[in-house]
Amino acid sequence: MRNVFLVARRDYLGYVTAWGFWLGLFLTPVLLGVFSLAPALAASTTPTRYYTVIESGTEFADALNEEFGRTRIAAARAQITALGMMGQDEAAMGARFDDAIEGGASPEAALKAAGVQNIAALPQAAYIPVPPPAQTADALRPWLMGERFIETPDGPLPLFAAIIVPEDDEPIEYWSENITSGELKAITGRAARALAQERIFEARGIDPSILQTIADTTRPIEERRARPTSGGDNRVTIADRAPYFAAIGMAFVLWTLIFSVVNYLLMGTIEERSNKIFDTLLTSVRLPQLLAGKLLAVLAVSLTLMTFWGVGGSLVSIWASSAISGEAASTISAVVGAALKPAIVGPALLSFVLGYLMYGSIFLALGSLCDTIQEAQTLMTPLLVLLMSPLIMFMVAANDPTSPIVQVMSWIPLLTPFLLILRMPTEPALWEVVAQLGMMAAATALILWLAAKVYRAGAVHGTGVSDVANWFKRLVPGKKKASG
Amino acid sequence: MTAETPLELRNATKWFGNFRAVDSLSFTVPQGSIIGFLGPNGAGKSTSLRMALGVVSPDQGEARLFGGPPDLKALHRVGFLPEERGLYKKMTPRGTIAYFAKLKGMSGAEANSRADELLDMSGLEEFARSRISKLSKGMAQKVQILSTLAHRPELLILDEPFSGLDPVNQQGLEDLIREEHERGATILFSTHVMEHAERLCDSIVMMARGKKVFDGTLDEAFKTLGRGARIAVSDGFALDSALASTPFSAVHEPMTDDQDWWRITLPPGRDAQDALRAAIEAGAPIAGFAPEEARLRDVFVSLVSEAEAAELEAPTPAPVPEEAA
Repeated sequence: MRNVFLVARRDYLGYVTAWGFWLGLFLTPVLLGVFSLAPALAASTTPTRYYTVIESGTEFADALNEEFGRTRIAAARAQITALGMMGQDEAAMGARFDDAIEGGASPEAALKAAGVQNIAALPQAAYIPVPPPAQTADALRPWLMGERFIETPDGPLPLFAAIIVPEDDEPIEYWSENITSGELKAITGRAARALAQERIFEARGIDPSILQTIADTTRPIEERRARPTSGGDNRVTIADRAPYFAAIGMAFVLWTLIFSVVNYLLMGTIEERSNKIFDTLLTSVRLPQLLAGKLLAVLAVSLTLMTFWGVGGSLVSIWASSAISGEAASTISAVVGAALKPAIVGPALLSFVLGYLMYGSIFLALGSLCDTIQEAQTLMTPLLVLLMSPLIMFMVAANDPTSPIVQVMSWIPLLTPFLLILRMPTEPALWEVVAQLGMMAAATALILWLAAKVYRAGAVHGTGVSDVANWFKRLVPGKKKASG
Repeated sequence: MTAETPLELRNATKWFGNFRAVDSLSFTVPQGSIIGFLGPNGAGKSTSLRMALGVVSPDQGEARLFGGPPDLKALHRVGFLPEERGLYKKMTPRGTIAYFAKLKGMSGAEANSRADELLDMSGLEEFARSRISKLSKGMAQKVQILSTLAHRPELLILDEPFSGLDPVNQQGLEDLIREEHERGATILFSTHVMEHAERLCDSIVMMARGKKVFDGTLDEAFKTLGRGARIAVSDGFALDSALASTPFSAVHEPMTDDQDWWRITLPPGRDAQDALRAAIEAGAPIAGFAPEEARLRDVFVSLVSEAEAAELEAPTPAPVPEEAA
């Protein structure tokens, strides 16, 4: 046991004193934070864009303005729906909001009137209409191409888009140099549709306000959850969804940790093989002790990462608590509470340990066959596929953890660690959880045993990647190769 | 055989696929001896040592350390310097020596103190906390040798310890081996450089093509060669005819200088002085005399050549299944 500890300690110190470890320690949360905030950042950093409408009159431009207004109102209404999920009285708040909007209030004022305390930023008027600097598409080209500029409060800027509305029933032309940002085009489409609806209603003598009446009288759908006991509040709240969010987070953290640390095993083993240390080590420790020490070292590395990220995340949360809304804080609290429930945290911890041992021993064994990083790179493609497959599956599971494909795939031991966590909020049958954990444990034992065999072949007998390739070639008929 | 015989191989055989690397090898390393384990490259020396240490298992026969199987308890009493040497390049010499000493059962404090002591002794103290990757190859080799000695092993097994060392360091290593022997360690080292074995060993075990071709003392090794002497005569004297009635036979050597040299074969029990006396008594005008000293190199070449010739004539044996990887 002492030798296992000594091997683990040496390897652990070797890993954590490498600059790459510290880079990963600090950079991973930063990058994850940046990527998760990217959509919000992209939205907040989108510049104000200026467009013009060329038509006879202002009918289409007015329709477009109304559509922008409806988009903002819908975004504001979504905030009330979210608060309803957190247990607030959505119906009463919604009624106050609608009354305020009908009274001509802005969406922000309507939210305030509805009693929303922390109003999240609504989509701003990112598209501002300007008078057309020219009257034809050809004449507008220099402004659209950025060769000429229009005067704006932000300074001289090119024209983002021009919407040309012909007088007849010809298609409305949407001109822009930017063909990737489709938001304005989509709003233009919705405005054209609303306008057409209005015209048809008028032509058939129907009051257009009937549309609003329909909207006002449509009965809302309240999502309720069937619970084991009758009575009580059955509305779907954030507490109902929290376990799913927690499971997705934990599965992702598990995958990230495994993905982050198995490379250490691969590279560490290659270093030992290329530095010819195995013979010295194997006359001091036995092979199972060496393997156990190495796996323990990397497990300690991942626990270090988890601890650092966990403590760091908690500190950042405490520091940021004053800056985030009460609703967001209660959401975080509900998700953390759900993650700590034994029904989720228990299988998650077992899945982490067994999943790590499975993937870790595979990488350890493959590393023992490689003399160089270049050789390891030849193995990296199948290894990456192996590592990416759980990621793909758990994206499916995150969308619908009860899907039959997820249920079937969760019986595959290499996928079980991730999919079982994702399925836990759906409360699968106990026998199923126990059976999957059992299968995973048995598969882990088998993989460890096989990995020890491969490791022995690589470390003791010097078997290399080319030997393995030759072995496979011998299995192919007509490709037999003399041994020796 | 006492229970404490440091090392013993009994009919150890090892196959790698269809290649028999070691064939029924048996030898014993007695307590307190220095044994040279000699053989040309590819003779099976390293495989034999790895079998002795339990790194690989023999397909047939057995290896015993201190009277038992080569388990960790026995291995803690052994210091092993493998032929293929390597260290953790990011570790320091002090950390490396202490690490391997701890793996051999020393306490942390004792291992660190021993590492300091060995580094001081070898003049590496100023590099004690440098990374191994910053050291010269010779220094790194020294660190590996010190790691082998750190836990004061009772049995030292050194696989080609002199390879890669410059003459000064080779001499230093010879001195170190003598010091370890004086301390009480039993030493087995493999080499294909005969001069080291001649200077250091009590006995030698010689291998060729996986088989043992000699096991005995140096004197016994020399006796396997017919020894001789060289006598130069003047005036075209026919020494072969003159010695025809004596137990000595003379063969004329090609002229290499102005002397007329004859090589005399010494029969068992006769030495070079006896041959000289016989030549004088036969009336030979002696111009020069050179008794030939037996060298281990000659013994080695002779025994290895014989073994290789015998191997070429022998039928190929059927392989046994390779050990499961």
